[in-house]
Amino acid sequence: MNTARARNCARCLGAALLLLGPVATAAPPTDLRSEAPIYGGGLEMILSWTPPPDDLIGYMLLRGPTASGPWKAIEPIASDAIRHKARVVSDPRREAVPETVFFRLVALRADSPIPALVPGEASDAAAAESEARYVDSLLATGDVSAPVESRTRAYLVNLTPSRVMLALIIIAAGVLIGVFTRAARRGAELYIRRIPGIDAIEEGIGRATEMGRPVLYVPGIGELQEMQTIAAMLILGQVSKKVAEYQADMIVSCCIPIVREVADEVVKAGFYQAGYPDAYKPANTRFISSDQFAFTAGTNGIVLREKPATNLYLGMFFAESLILAETGFLNKSIQIAGTAEATQLPFFVTACDYTLIGEELYAVSAYLSRDPRLVSSLKSSDYIKVFCVVMLIIGTVAASLGNPLISTLFRIAE
Amino acid sequence: MKRTLPLIITFFVGIVMVGEFFIPHYGYRMLTDEFLQWGLVLAAAAYLLGIVNLIQVNIPKITQRKPDWFYKLIMLLSLAITLAIGFIGGQDRQVEGAAYRWVYSSVFTPLSATMFSLLAFYIASAAFRAFRARNLDAGLLLGAAMLVMLARVPIGENLPYIGEGLGHLMNWIMDVPNTAARRSIFIGGALGAIATGLRVILGLERSHLGD
Repeated sequence: MNTARARNCARCLGAALLLLGPVATAAPPTDLRSEAPIYGGGLEMILSWTPPPDDLIGYMLLRGPTASGPWKAIEPIASDAIRHKARVVSDPRREAVPETVFFRLVALRADSPIPALVPGEASDAAAAESEARYVDSLLATGDVSAPVESRTRAYLVNLTPSRVMLALIIIAAGVLIGVFTRAARRGAELYIRRIPGIDAIEEGIGRATEMGRPVLYVPGIGELQEMQTIAAMLILGQVSKKVAEYQADMIVSCCIPIVREVADEVVKAGFYQAGYPDAYKPANTRFISSDQFAFTAGTNGIVLREKPATNLYLGMFFAESLILAETGFLNKSIQIAGTAEATQLPFFVTACDYTLIGEELYAVSAYLSRDPRLVSSLKSSDYIKVFCVVMLIIGTVAASLGNPLISTLFRIAE
Repeated sequence: MKRTLPLIITFFVGIVMVGEFFIPHYGYRMLTDEFLQWGLVLAAAAYLLGIVNLIQVNIPKITQRKPDWFYKLIMLLSLAITLAIGFIGGQDRQVEGAAYRWVYSSVFTPLSATMFSLLAFYIASAAFRAFRARNLDAGLLLGAAMLVMLARVPIGENLPYIGEGLGHLMNWIMDVPNTAARRSIFIGGALGAIATGLRVILGLERSHLGD
């Protein structure tokens, strides 16, 4: 494994074949500084520098264990950068994380040494040797900054204001869920506004039963770890139970194989739970293709051949949304769609009978189940939404007056 | 146990993954990376199951001569031929002139592009229905859409007297009401995702287990 990595590294960064003609020495980058950010976890350093005044084509970052080397070319950096996030080791699984590491920055110009490809069949030693020659040639240009010492620091907890805020919101959501669940168990009625699109799901299943045609369920084309796909699987649990109770047929069309496997288990569990395990048909949960448009063509084929009475498009959709929904429209199916992809919502709104917008997608499962524990989670997210709206208003006013406190509290990206 | 074990695993893995936001230490990140790697391995292994599913679903339809069985036969043959070409090509299957690459660039890519190009016609038919000014909302939608469409084509940009103003109006529609609506959907969606995530991690949501 190390052999392949070393060869790849050498192949990418190049080596050997220096253009060892007369090299013009110009000003190197200066004032190279290093800082260990909290989020770096001991693996990442933030480097900043003052660029040389003349035109560059980029930089090459060098890393070494001591101020005198040996140096290793780590990665190229764009010419307009003045800050860069650098790793202190390439792979912490294979290398020990040092307490101290040194960086140097080489300014690359049109006449700087260029890396050459190392043949794949070259030995490790040859690859390492050619890489070392490349680094030496870079150092020989003189366009290199002084080494900067970087002390790695792995923080155990990130207590920046934005992370504390996020933790507080999660804790508040958990506490509110507990409070509302207790209230619901004591008999308090938790009001949730009526969502016609969700009510229509049961009507759609009833219509399919009356017409003797199947329900088509499409959980989008997102990977299983996407929250919208997870929501689609949760809804599928409720929908499959209803379909089983109505003794209708349901076809699930999947784009990702692992989503199909999970969907199959969910549908099976739904049919068992409803008391109709015999009605469950494994062949109705289908993997079509992992390519977006091949999947679209296959699903459209199902719509045109098997003529489902109700189409449910719930999950993560992209360009295929309108192709699917228009085909369903031509088939005269009742169509209910739900996605948090803002770019696809207009297509669904146009072509479907009901559309669940953004957060409504995440509310379907709780809404259909009417389980007090789940409904309480909807109530808690409503209260947090109110809090966010208030913070948005205060933050807008504060930012307009030049106070960045609120925006700092909600800034997650680092 | 069949119910409890998945809930325990979900709780444990969920808490560990959420913890990554608050524990930046590289040792912890190595642990979460390991979980993600397991996920990738599982997802890759599921492709084999996907192929099995394709065969299980389509072979009976071919043998029973169900409607359009011939297309299913072509699909399975294409799958088998592409797999065979890929295996025969080995590591060089992607190089210029390789059969696998030809199948990808000369058969698969044009077919995908054909499907994608259908979108233009579907947009036209959907827009025809959406832009009927039946009430005030639909009228506003029609008006905004006409302005944006006109300002985005050369004839609109070059209209005498109003071309420049049209551009500013389009930018305002896109930057102010459109962005505001998109952000509200995004914020609502993010909060919904947090609530759903908490429900699953805490074991409150069990729809996927059949409860």
